[in-house]
Amino acid sequence: MVKAVRGVLVECEPAIKSILVHIDSTHHHEFIIDDLDETHLFVKETMLQVLKQKLEERLKETYRPEEPLEDSE
Amino acid sequence: MSSVGQQSYQLSDYLEKLPGTTFRKLYQQPSTAFAIFRRMLPPLAKVFVQALLYMPSPLLLAELDVWVRAEGKMQRDRALSILRSLHIVQITPPGKDKPQELQLTTNFKNSLRLALEGGGSHNSFGVPSTLPVDPRIDIAYLDSYARRKWEDILHYVVNSVPVQGEGGGGGSVGGPKASVKDLLLIGRLVERRHDTKAGVGITQAGFTFLLQEANAQVWTLLLLWLEAADRAKGAAEQGKAAAAAAKTDSIDMLSFLFMLASLELGRAYDTDALSETRRNMLPALVDFGLIYIPREDTRQYFPTRLATTLTSSASSLRSVSSGFSAAAANNPGDASSLGTTPETSAAAKGSVIVETNYRLYAYTSSPLQIAVLALFTQLNMRFAGMATGRLTRDSIRRAISFGITADQIISYLASHAHEQMVRAAAATGRPVLPPTVVDQIRLWQLENERMRTSAGFLFKDFDSLEEYVSLSSYAEEIGVLVWKSDKKRMFYASKFEQLRDYLKSRKKAE
Repeated sequence: MVKAVRGVLVECEPAIKSILVHIDSTHHHEFIIDDLDETHLFVKETMLQVLKQKLEERLKETYRPEEPLEDSE
Repeated sequence: MSSVGQQSYQLSDYLEKLPGTTFRKLYQQPSTAFAIFRRMLPPLAKVFVQALLYMPSPLLLAELDVWVRAEGKMQRDRALSILRSLHIVQITPPGKDKPQELQLTTNFKNSLRLALEGGGSHNSFGVPSTLPVDPRIDIAYLDSYARRKWEDILHYVVNSVPVQGEGGGGGSVGGPKASVKDLLLIGRLVERRHDTKAGVGITQAGFTFLLQEANAQVWTLLLLWLEAADRAKGAAEQGKAAAAAAKTDSIDMLSFLFMLASLELGRAYDTDALSETRRNMLPALVDFGLIYIPREDTRQYFPTRLATTLTSSASSLRSVSSGFSAAAANNPGDASSLGTTPETSAAAKGSVIVETNYRLYAYTSSPLQIAVLALFTQLNMRFAGMATGRLTRDSIRRAISFGITADQIISYLASHAHEQMVRAAAATGRPVLPPTVVDQIRLWQLENERMRTSAGFLFKDFDSLEEYVSLSSYAEEIGVLVWKSDKKRMFYASKFEQLRDYLKSRKKAE
């Protein structure tokens, strides 16, 4: 029997996806419903904001973006 | 064309959720049927409706294929899917012995015919007032009135931005009525907060609201109002605005809005000819600036440009802003209305210059426009009639963290670009905004939005491959398919109502 499950489709790069999967596995799998393919995850709607926050924290630890050139007014 | 789709998007979402019985009632009014036909349908769907309108008997669905070229099958299916979701056509379920047939629903057909041919005593297009009209109330007067009312509402929303610089601080005199404020709160365009001057803070939905075009903004507010009325019917005590609206029936409200849209700007209409529910709506519509009622004589009401363009197509929507700017130029003495200097009439035409080095110059003194620009620009200097700033990674990031999208920013900049930019672009055949800036804004968003998300439904556990293939290809045809995996036999769709109906009708046929 066909089922339609409500949730959020997350599309991201494979690298980001693996971080998300790791976050999920260290938090009792409370975020991800289904691992769809290399670049897609199916996530609980209510947990999306928390997941975004966790990803942001994780990226801050590792990722330092280039600062753009200062403007000379 | 794409702009039409975007603007009517929210209205179509609201309509799609309504049950069939509601549509049958709505379509009893010729003005409603006509407004839906005019505003909500893509060109191909209009062609279908026009062809079917005077057809004496149902059309075989197979014959429709003859009208549409093979490569247009997708457009045909989309048109049909829209027509079905708006309950304009009905299609008999597929059966083994009988071919599928297509026809217009009875109420829609009768009402649209009445609208085209005239006749009947439905008074669906309003009853003009026979009383003498005050000569001071002309189109320019109505325009400046509607503009003031509407800018008051926008200002209230903009002022709830946690102030960055002086941009958000433009004082609004009085602000909108309490009922409108309640509505903005209920609709979560703003929420109560204590760290801002106004005591409320803007939400993500509020930002989206601000960057929309005037017509889309009006619809957003009206739909919030309708939904508040719907909810209030269930639970009577929900604050003043909702309780007052509880008495009115949301169906009648909606068809009244469609009727307003068919009225003529600058004419007086008779309030006594309205039903009681509709008369109860008048005070709120006055608060929104959709109609004007003279204080000394409440037997007349005048629709403003905000009301009469509700169901217009894109080209006439542009006349809203040009009409408003004309009104601004005509009333330089009106001190309470904001930005009545000539510069703001230029603002409506476009006043923003963006250079390839991300610098931005806005030739405006409208506090409203400067406040909106401050949402995503780092404003540096402000002169009389001009403000300068820069688009920076941080300013765009901040905007995105508010919930504004790169596309919204880009389309705002493009639609408000200075004439000079538009002219230079037309002369060289290049896009209006510098491509480097547009790309960089998108990249900044990507950098921030490491995951793209969309809400919807995952379909899985299909009984057979055949079932999976037929449902997923149907989802693709009606344009709701977002992702699919043939290997896993799963797919992801943004909506499920029509897919459910499709499955049901398939079950029946088997």
